[in-house]
Amino acid sequence: MSYRRRTKSSGWFLKLILCVAIGYGLYAGGRFLWQRKTIFNAEEILSQSVLQEKNFAHRPIEVVSPKYKIKAYLLEEKSNPIISLSFMFKGSGYAADDENKQGISNVVAAVLTEGTANLDSQAFKELLENKAIGISFSASVDDFSGALVTTSKNKQEAFKLLQDIFVQPRFAAEDLSRIKNQMQKALLLQKEHPQSKLRLATLQYVYGPHAYGRNPLGRAEDIAALSRKDLQQYMQTHMAQNNLLVGAAGDITPEELETVLDEVFGVLPKTSALNFVRKAKPDFDRGEKNIDYPAAGQNISAFAAQGVARTAADFYPLYIANHIFGGSGLSSRLSKAAREEKGLTYSIYSYLSLADNSPLIQGGFSSTPDKFAEVKNIFAQEWNKFGKYGASKEEIAEAKNYLISSYNLRFSSISNLSDILLYMQKDNLGLDFLQERNNNIKKVSDKEINDVAAKYYQADKYILVNIGNFAQN
Amino acid sequence: MAKAKLFGAQNFHLSNGLEVVVIENHKAPIIKCMLWYKAGAVDEAEGKGGSAHLLEHLMFRGTKKVSGEEFDRLLKQNGVESNAFTSLDFTAYHHNADISKLELVLALEADRMENLQISDKNFALERDIVYQERKQMVDNNPSATFFEAYRNLLWQEHPYHRPVSGTSAEIKALTKSDIENFYHKYYQPNNAVLVLSGDIDLQTAKLLAEKYFGKIENKTKVAKTSFPSLANNRQAELKMSLPQITSERLVKTYVAPSYNTEKTAIYALSIFSKYLGDGETSELYKDLVLDKKLALSVSSAYDYTARSYGLFQISALPAEGVSAQELSQAVDEAVSKAVQNMSLDKINNTKDKMLSGLVYLLDNPFDAAETVGAMTAAGMSIKDIENLAQNIKSVTYQEVKTAAQNLFSQSGEVKGILSPQGAN
Repeated sequence: MSYRRRTKSSGWFLKLILCVAIGYGLYAGGRFLWQRKTIFNAEEILSQSVLQEKNFAHRPIEVVSPKYKIKAYLLEEKSNPIISLSFMFKGSGYAADDENKQGISNVVAAVLTEGTANLDSQAFKELLENKAIGISFSASVDDFSGALVTTSKNKQEAFKLLQDIFVQPRFAAEDLSRIKNQMQKALLLQKEHPQSKLRLATLQYVYGPHAYGRNPLGRAEDIAALSRKDLQQYMQTHMAQNNLLVGAAGDITPEELETVLDEVFGVLPKTSALNFVRKAKPDFDRGEKNIDYPAAGQNISAFAAQGVARTAADFYPLYIANHIFGGSGLSSRLSKAAREEKGLTYSIYSYLSLADNSPLIQGGFSSTPDKFAEVKNIFAQEWNKFGKYGASKEEIAEAKNYLISSYNLRFSSISNLSDILLYMQKDNLGLDFLQERNNNIKKVSDKEINDVAAKYYQADKYILVNIGNFAQN
Repeated sequence: MAKAKLFGAQNFHLSNGLEVVVIENHKAPIIKCMLWYKAGAVDEAEGKGGSAHLLEHLMFRGTKKVSGEEFDRLLKQNGVESNAFTSLDFTAYHHNADISKLELVLALEADRMENLQISDKNFALERDIVYQERKQMVDNNPSATFFEAYRNLLWQEHPYHRPVSGTSAEIKALTKSDIENFYHKYYQPNNAVLVLSGDIDLQTAKLLAEKYFGKIENKTKVAKTSFPSLANNRQAELKMSLPQITSERLVKTYVAPSYNTEKTAIYALSIFSKYLGDGETSELYKDLVLDKKLALSVSSAYDYTARSYGLFQISALPAEGVSAQELSQAVDEAVSKAVQNMSLDKINNTKDKMLSGLVYLLDNPFDAAETVGAMTAAGMSIKDIENLAQNIKSVTYQEVKTAAQNLFSQSGEVKGILSPQGAN
């Protein structure tokens, strides 16, 4: 819609013209009468708003370090004296852990912040707190990620600490032992909540023996057997310059970042040696599985169906389609049908999961055992209806408006910014992505959206795993 | 030299009493708009548990001017992320929006401050939904089940004992007029705080707050709630075994000063909590996790942003082969040791850690809105919020020590142990 392109510099003249255009749009849309009848006039409020639309003006650049040719995306943002670095070792997630070392990536992520050659665990943590430096690591299914935040004042210490972690992490026996005990406890605590039991059961049911079916925390006996040497070897093979991506945001210049890239990441080995994770091919015709959990106050369901990769041509159409079907808020098809109109559930939703080797449409719902069959039925009906008939013009326009108008909300913090820069590289979205993204949404046609609805929301083609008390059904 | 700002928050009042807090942050063209009502579960009539929370839900179901569907459609159409939450002390409605949509948000929020309309059908639907919400969040979560019983024991006759959701039976017994009564009594400008945090300046905020909220009249004067006093030195213990639980855990709570009950003590207690159990360089962590290896984790937390009493809480997860009962004794010893071994150097170091990263508070406008909003709604003045760092700096070592001693000698202790079935 034209009035969304208004910019601050367009001046009063353009504003006047655009206000007329909005009025015309309303009349043509048949909502003129409605507009006259009500006292609450949203269009008028928006068109006469003193606060007008602005673009998020910053454009990232690519920086390449002089010595090791390490690349990074940078968004220089000087409103506060703070810096955020997000980095990732691609393909080093838990699915690539050795078969008999399941959980090693998580253990490494935890032990890496337990000190360096010069600083024991306590000295290291004291320093981080005194200098307000944050360093953290984590392993997802596909990648091993890290983050550093620092004030400009203490940036030299911060970068040096990260370099020291890469050169000589302490990996003290005492720290490793403590973290292994904490992980064993985490594996036990996973079994307490029906929602986390369901998550694990769903991964297993969907993926079976494929590495995506693993417990994301790892396996108890493998964790127990991990040695210092295993961790050192993991770092040598999994954290290298050739699988590294870096995003930087905040109070840092391109020249400074070049130096940081060489000094901090230049110490890493040139090449990684990773286990290959093959594509997963779940059988979405397997239907439903029930897990008995008689103590449940509610029955909970998780579903999974074929999705698309972030780089696939179907991505944007499916992204919009999913928003209509089960996306955020209370106005999705699922939420309207089961919650808003029937009061059967508190939450029912779907989302696109973009894992490298098995993109999915996923989601879930829950309800007390007496209402559960009805909710499940509504889900099935809505799924099949969406596949068969697709979405209306109005639904598509509304979804696009939402996705476009809410876009700037993700720029709230510099760590969000550096994360976005990281994923722009991982998904090859290009340096102009921040400026182009809304156009990518706009240009998807209604037909493309309804084509993907038919292609991905095929009748009954999803896996459903339920946990709870099924005696009454 | 001008004093560094903490959040950069400023405030003003409209003539109807509405307090408006503005936090400028021009990094991106976005804003968080929050409307905090100083009314929560503690304000419910006896036996009407869940009223505040059910009202929060019904606030999305439409007014005399805008139907619930239209409300939702307008926000979606304009990319606004909206939600709300209810606590014991407050109910807050919040929207993350592109700055160009702020006026729409303000208009909708102002409209539902005075024009809420609850139909029988929507009332029945939303009551079913909050019943399902309680089943999902409390009855299907063993640790939530435990904490509900624990809070009951801790607070006894004080309204902080209530579950915010209401019990299942209370939810089912609520009527439409219960909710309307609560709305008319508490939802008015002089009982609310509007927070605008993001790409806006004070002058524009004044203009817009006046334009949308300036004409709303107060229906009644909201009387200041009087909370019962709790007896000193109460000791109590709750042991609960649940079949889903795999591992014992321990919690100890001390009813503590809040901004409203004993303002002078809160800065010293904040420092003490950080020193005692906040993070992996704290005294409890070093003693119980690293040295004695009796716990896998231990932490303390102190909350003074409450309308009535504050809370000081210690939580711990025993190591394999250690019972919660043994750990409880070890925690007591570790706490005594930490109070005894407190030194000027250690307290200065703790203060340095607390003050080293203040500049991060200026980064995220959404986080700032939540933090400053909660503080303001608890009654903190903007001056006290912005002077937080200064007030922490000026606490003396002796004041920290005295605050810690008072906490443990005067508050008593309520202990809770959650265990697997068959463990006791």
